[in-house]
Amino acid sequence: MTNGDSGLKALHNPDIPVPEELQSTIAITSLDRIYNWCRARSMWPLLFGLACCAIEMIAAAASRYDISRFGMEVMRPSPRQADLMIVSGTVTKKMVVPIVRIYNQMAEPKYVLAMGACASGGGPFKEGYNVVSGIDKYIPVDVYVPGCPPTPQALIHGFLTLQKKIESQSLRTVPWYRSGESTAIPIPLLGPDIIDPRQAELIRRQAEQAAAQAAAAPSEA
Amino acid sequence: MYGLGILKGMGVTLKHFLDTYIEDLRFLGKGKRTDVAFNLRQSGSNQRLGLFTVEYPEEKIAVPERFRFIPFLVINNLDAEEDPGKIWCTSCGICAKVCPPQCIWIVRGTDPETGRPKPEPEEFYIDIDICMNCGLCAEFCPFDAIKMDHDYELASYDRTTHHIFDKARLSKEFRYWRSIAPTISAEEAEARGGWEHKDVLKEKAKAARTADKATGAS
Repeated sequence: MTNGDSGLKALHNPDIPVPEELQSTIAITSLDRIYNWCRARSMWPLLFGLACCAIEMIAAAASRYDISRFGMEVMRPSPRQADLMIVSGTVTKKMVVPIVRIYNQMAEPKYVLAMGACASGGGPFKEGYNVVSGIDKYIPVDVYVPGCPPTPQALIHGFLTLQKKIESQSLRTVPWYRSGESTAIPIPLLGPDIIDPRQAELIRRQAEQAAAQAAAAPSEA
Repeated sequence: MYGLGILKGMGVTLKHFLDTYIEDLRFLGKGKRTDVAFNLRQSGSNQRLGLFTVEYPEEKIAVPERFRFIPFLVINNLDAEEDPGKIWCTSCGICAKVCPPQCIWIVRGTDPETGRPKPEPEEFYIDIDICMNCGLCAEFCPFDAIKMDHDYELASYDRTTHHIFDKARLSKEFRYWRSIAPTISAEEAEARGGWEHKDVLKEKAKAARTADKATGAS
């Protein structure tokens, strides 16, 4: 949201009463709220575009819609410095490998916004031989923005939805302050078809079944 | 002289910066966020001054009438005299056939007494994360029952529970369609011969014809 007095008012903890005339200068709040308030208002997106949705993303960053009003204008070219990955466009099977790799390289806390029909569910290419039908099959997605492509205003609505999600998180439960290392997502294997290593066991079992059936079939004939 | 171009560019930026103050003075007391001020800022007129950024959640650019987003199903107005809330769709399935990304799923309704199909969908699903907003369904619908919506604020956290719209979520009153697209809906009504559903109009015409015949015969 816009900063200034409304931003400060958003910080108030409703459990602690503050006089009306002091509300624009003083805020009594919890650590969670101030932590989330700072994070939500400085989301740095990762700079990459995949297809036509990227044009709308660029339009949202340009002066007419200007996502710097939300502290988002710093599009980082490096995943190490970015908080938000905007998957803007069709994810081909060849492209999903670098996307998962980039996602693994991003520092926690990290968020993913699936922008447009292709990134969310495959869109018109959902049955294409070379397209991943939805990036959520590989990486966890926080916000889905429908549209083909979403207008800049629809994308900004997605950002605001993400801000609401961030503000609902708590320091006590967020995964990146728990002990132990966070697990990286296994990189999909690009061959004749894309293979998710997490499903390798299932694929192996199905292949064995198919082989057994194929072996049984000629003996009957 | 070197650097003149940079200075010129900076001058333009400075002019815009100063113009924002003039604009503030012009709408002093009336508020910068009034419709008049906003429309002037967004217009191409030479009266326009200062920033033209759309401060989105507070102010929105009005979408054009032929703007297309997710489709919706037209139902009768809920306070209509005849059949309030009756869905216009006859579940013919043409929209599902022409849909390029195949995001429409219709279950045809059956009459529980006779067991024969009735012209009304039992269920109607649109996966809005597949929909490519092409508008072919609205173009092909012979009953003007499916139309393209203008509501684009649909982002959510879960695709399977929020982004597969069912019949209840898709249904919107005819009044809404008239309000978002006054010109198009008027053109369509003219082509149909009235504001009601095509079938209702046909029934009415038939009734009028038989009444005419009865008076002519007697």
